[in-house]
Amino acid sequence: MDSDREQHDGRVPLPGFGAPAPGDKPAPDRRDGIRHARRMSNWTLAALIAGTGAATVALAHHAFPAATGTATTAAGPAGATAATGTTASPGTHGASGPQVTHSVATTSGSGVTVSTTTHTVNGKTIVTRVRHVPAYHDN
Amino acid sequence: MATGPATLAPHPSWRRVRTGDTTVAVAQRDALGTTARIAVWPPEHAGPAMTAVDDVLSALDLQASRFRPDSEISWLHRAHGGLFLLSNGLAEAIRVALAAAAWTGGLADPTIGSALISLGYDRDFAAIDPGRPDPPAAPVPAPGWQSVRLDGPLLHLPAGVLLDLGATAKGLGADRAVRAVQAATGNTGGTLVSLGGDIATGGTPPAGGWPVRVADPPGLPAGPSGTAPAQQVRLARGAVATSSVTCREWRRAGRVLHHIVDPRTGLPADGPWQMVSVAAASCADANAAATAAVVAGAGAREWLAGTGLPARLVARDGEVSCLGGWPEGDDEPVDPPVGSRVYCGAGPRGGAR
Repeated sequence: MDSDREQHDGRVPLPGFGAPAPGDKPAPDRRDGIRHARRMSNWTLAALIAGTGAATVALAHHAFPAATGTATTAAGPAGATAATGTTASPGTHGASGPQVTHSVATTSGSGVTVSTTTHTVNGKTIVTRVRHVPAYHDN
Repeated sequence: MATGPATLAPHPSWRRVRTGDTTVAVAQRDALGTTARIAVWPPEHAGPAMTAVDDVLSALDLQASRFRPDSEISWLHRAHGGLFLLSNGLAEAIRVALAAAAWTGGLADPTIGSALISLGYDRDFAAIDPGRPDPPAAPVPAPGWQSVRLDGPLLHLPAGVLLDLGATAKGLGADRAVRAVQAATGNTGGTLVSLGGDIATGGTPPAGGWPVRVADPPGLPAGPSGTAPAQQVRLARGAVATSSVTCREWRRAGRVLHHIVDPRTGLPADGPWQMVSVAAASCADANAAATAAVVAGAGAREWLAGTGLPARLVARDGEVSCLGGWPEGDDEPVDPPVGSRVYCGAGPRGGAR
């Protein structure tokens, strides 16, 4: 039968092209194959798009915790951030340290303050000087 | 309440501070005429951290305290000028002070030693008579930081020029201490060191940054806008420092004096600000910038804006101004720009002995 499909110049046409040769499969089967391949390609493309999207969302979530935290706080009840101790912020710079909710130090003018009070008792001026670390200082 | 780490016990000079968080260890002790505080995580780092900070503070005090007769800088001053070969530590401290002076256009000038002495700040602050009846000596304007030359470890100090490194030394000490703690703990975890309210951080901060309180003097009236005078910020990296005219004040002949001196006049700065806080990449930068802003007076906003540093200024009437991205809300991050202007930290790790 192969000899029947040979052309005169030795070329052999692909199935479905040119005049159907005796014994060739009918053209509709070939079109079904192409449709099947296209359907598979579409599914593959859809899966790729979905995967890329999911990966993008996951990466964004990881890279910008503050944005996520803000959204959570806005959607949740008032005070949710304080209650859970969520304090991530744009200044975190990839921090992986513990949650710390209470102030650990105070920035203020350094050193000691002196309070001076003057009283007059029986005509005498009494100056009282008290030196103390300010209450607002780390103490 | 935090139970605190057992590692605090071998350091009797340090006192444990319970903040309410068990994830960090916080301790403090008196140092350099003020308070030193450390906060580290994990809490097991507290022991080596305290040892490292002790070493740094002892070295700094011996290098740069003008109130210790045995300090290196006191020895320089007694020599009445000349060419000196400095230790690495003092050379670095003076280099940072001169860099700060150049950066601030002389607003933070280390040659104000004579000015402070003439005002009565000639000994440790705790020993100053807070209310002497006699007036201070005539003001002594600073001779100027350009008169001092430093080439590596070689210092040329003109006769009559006395140095005071107060505008940068505490900040530098905090920077050194953080580096020393991180080195002692294998550069793991995170460290915060506060020297009298000048705060440096290193390593990995807690989530969201170190919570730091920015406090104003008690009784400060609310500003015309009703701004609350106290705040908590989050510091994820870098440093924050505060300069105030309400701390370290004394009286002479009924006149209130304080330790932030205007180098141009030799008198205490008399501008509109009673407290300025600045965040920067290094605590030496923050310390110098805060002092410079107080001295700059009405020009502080413009100068600070030129630096791009986050800053918070409290006026004498209580009005609070936030510049350069300093947050106005509470518990928000303060994010200083990267890159120090005065301290590269290139000295020997652990404190430049």
